[in-house]
Amino acid sequence: MTQLLRNLRFWIGLALGLAGGLLYGWVLHPAAAPTAAPAALRQDYRTDYVLMVAEAYQAEADIDLAVQRLAQLGPASPAAIVDEAVAYANRQGFAASDMELLSRLARDLNAAPAPATASP
Amino acid sequence: MSRGLVPLLIGLALGVIGGLTYAWAIDPVELVGGAPAAMSADAQADYLTLIASAYAATDDLPRAQARLALFSDPNAAETLGALAQARLASGRPVSEAQALARLAGDLGVRPSPPPSPATTASPARPTVSPTITRTPTLRPSPTVSRTPGAPFQIERQELECDPDQTAPRIRVRVLDAAGQGVPGVEVLVLWDTGEDRFYTGLKPELGSGYGDFAMTEGVVYTVRLAESGALVTGLQVQTCTSDSGESYPGSWALDFVQP
Repeated sequence: MTQLLRNLRFWIGLALGLAGGLLYGWVLHPAAAPTAAPAALRQDYRTDYVLMVAEAYQAEADIDLAVQRLAQLGPASPAAIVDEAVAYANRQGFAASDMELLSRLARDLNAAPAPATASP
Repeated sequence: MSRGLVPLLIGLALGVIGGLTYAWAIDPVELVGGAPAAMSADAQADYLTLIASAYAATDDLPRAQARLALFSDPNAAETLGALAQARLASGRPVSEAQALARLAGDLGVRPSPPPSPATTASPARPTVSPTITRTPTLRPSPTVSRTPGAPFQIERQELECDPDQTAPRIRVRVLDAAGQGVPGVEVLVLWDTGEDRFYTGLKPELGSGYGDFAMTEGVVYTVRLAESGALVTGLQVQTCTSDSGESYPGSWALDFVQP
């Protein structure tokens, strides 16, 4: 009975310590000021990011640079990222000229050859 | 202390250590669904560069300003100018520095547009509060114009003597036909044993078409605008004399103007 009580106290202490440690480390005093990666941007900012890429692409006509910029938004394929932005822009009623820029980028990304894969 | 509390304290200590290890090292806090201003410094620099590249393509200053407003930086022009220099120094593409310099310069030249119904009206967006409005009808034509086929010409070459500025410099101003400073113009500086380059607009507080270069005594410089070929040769440090008879080096002021 005494051993059982000791074990119980140990586990209760462990649980309390764990909860306290997590509360302190995540909420009260995080390891560093929390930063968001571009991939973690909110959907409206992500869409505007893609629109900026499309605007720059319109003048630069450099699909590799556009792909490089879109890669900042996460591991999804550039075409998928742009499609997602197009869908969001459609829902939010973006201006026709902006939709045209996004669509052009999406079209060119889909037309671009897929990156080469290593052959066995 | 009661011996019964020892297991509790041991568990507590182990729990705290485990909790902190997990929260700080294994799975630290990350923001999801954040704003650009919450990104790391490097990511913010990339974001600002993209704003400038998009502006270089569209000439839509209100839109660029709306995007920059996300960072709540009261000195955005200076930040962009410094970023342009940093990117240039780190070997990033010249076009990035030019785009940043141009936006920095244009921010310094043109005041923020007053809000109008057309700029604040936006489509209904139920889930998020949009910060950037999209009204293509408001895109202004750029006031900074570079007419193709009208190369810049040297209009003024003058030794400036300022006893407060004793570090000799080549000070370049590039102006368009309307007398407005032109940012983002590449200026080459050549001398016997080397060459360097800088861009106008990186110091917007001194004018959007301004750029300068530190001179070394005894070296003869040639200055050329990369875009036009306008050339100034034989520049070297000249001595000025103050009212009290003290000698100090002067700076060369060069104005390039588009006819």
